[in-house]
Amino acid sequence: MLERVTHLLPPEMAAVLGRLPDGVKDRLEEIRVREGRPLEIGFGGESRFAGEDGSLRHTPEQAYRPSSELCRKMLERMTNHSLYAMEEELRRGYITVSGGHRIGLCGRTVLERGAVRGIRDIGGFNIRIAREVVGAADGLLPQLADRTRGTIVSTLVLAPPQQGKTTLIRDLARSISYGLYAGSGGMRREGRKVAIVDERSEIAACVRGVPTFDVGPRTDVMDACPKAEGMMMMLRSMSPDVLVVDEIGHAEDAAALREAVHAGVSVIATAHARDLQDARDRPALRELIEEGAFAAFIELRRTAEGFRSRVLRPGPGALAREPTALQPERPLC
Amino acid sequence: MLKLIGAALILFAGTMIGFQQAARLAARPRHIRTLLHTLQRLETEIGYGYTPLPEALERAAEHTPEPLAAMLKEAAKRLDDADGPSFRESWSRAIEGHWANSAMRSPEKAALIRLGSSLGISDREDQVKHLRLAMQQLKAEEDAARDDQERYEKLCKSLGVLVAALIVILIV
Repeated sequence: MLERVTHLLPPEMAAVLGRLPDGVKDRLEEIRVREGRPLEIGFGGESRFAGEDGSLRHTPEQAYRPSSELCRKMLERMTNHSLYAMEEELRRGYITVSGGHRIGLCGRTVLERGAVRGIRDIGGFNIRIAREVVGAADGLLPQLADRTRGTIVSTLVLAPPQQGKTTLIRDLARSISYGLYAGSGGMRREGRKVAIVDERSEIAACVRGVPTFDVGPRTDVMDACPKAEGMMMMLRSMSPDVLVVDEIGHAEDAAALREAVHAGVSVIATAHARDLQDARDRPALRELIEEGAFAAFIELRRTAEGFRSRVLRPGPGALAREPTALQPERPLC
Repeated sequence: MLKLIGAALILFAGTMIGFQQAARLAARPRHIRTLLHTLQRLETEIGYGYTPLPEALERAAEHTPEPLAAMLKEAAKRLDDADGPSFRESWSRAIEGHWANSAMRSPEKAALIRLGSSLGISDREDQVKHLRLAMQQLKAEEDAARDDQERYEKLCKSLGVLVAALIVILIV
């Protein structure tokens, strides 16, 4: 995993990380760089401080501390020496680079009429390494199929952060677009038109409008677009069969989503929640769930062996009650 | 006979040195002017086009005569060096490498290097401000260079001939 992001790091930092044990390098998820403070890395759900010799410790005392010069160089590399071209990204607090990796930034914000206009004096970085798991959704697709309409049902993916939601819906989009949604046995149907509204450039990781992940041949991506607006734009202009959005939760998202569902488009969305019960405690989500906007729910959980998923398909009329039709848990990848 | 040839050579050399100095004096305001145009172009690329810096430098170089074009191209190219230099480093290295080919002097160089330490690392408004500041300094230098040219260009030419003549007289 490390080699995917080495081009973003200054040589000194890449050398330090290059000395990490191979097992850690392969499972690397996050590199957290804070100017003048210990270097922290996250791998396989754990986090440790990294020493200059590549050793890993629980305590920060002997860890490697990146200098301000190094952080400046790193910022320059990440922004292609052009911070001024990233104003929109800085306002959102992170930048997405080629390969879909997302770099969160911290520093002093610049305000304009009370709203954040950008960040300056950047001293904190969180490099999140994106992974594309082709086939992550294979086991789930037969359970989501809508055989009468020849498409898949509207689905809400629920999980806390960092549990693989985006990875899963990216693969769902890819499979539907390729026509692999029909189920197991390698049977293929005609692919469906998929529209992705990628507000945070995470699903397709577009660089200059072109997806860097394989999201399928019949997929259109609206990059860096506010979800509610993007969903409406896609409905109007791209006539999708399936609409894919990440992290819904606002009232306006719900309104746009409703619009899509009533237009006969299947929606695949994700939301931050531990489980279905948790999701119902959020007002915007509760309304959607109780109206029956979603026919299926996927709960994702991360365990030591990998990701686990559970599909819930409450039948019509059972929506307001506890779902009963539980599928057995199965490993995702 | 040999003496005559020697004297002629000295005269010729002296004249040439004088002319060369005069040419440098004349070239300096011209070079500063092209530099100003280049910075103007960079300002447009950065301020209105949001063009990434390496690309902006390349584009500016296309419309710039030598020796400035080579300097800009090198600054952009050096960013890919193996040691991962910051823009400031690659910019000053490029300037050091190509400065001898230009007729500009140290105040211009100082202004350019100062500009390099702020290019690419702040927001658009800030970038434009830094570019304008550098342009202002260069304009002042340009005026001074024109004054120098008027005052010393002819002087240099005649001085070259006269000093050569003096040497010839002293030797003979």
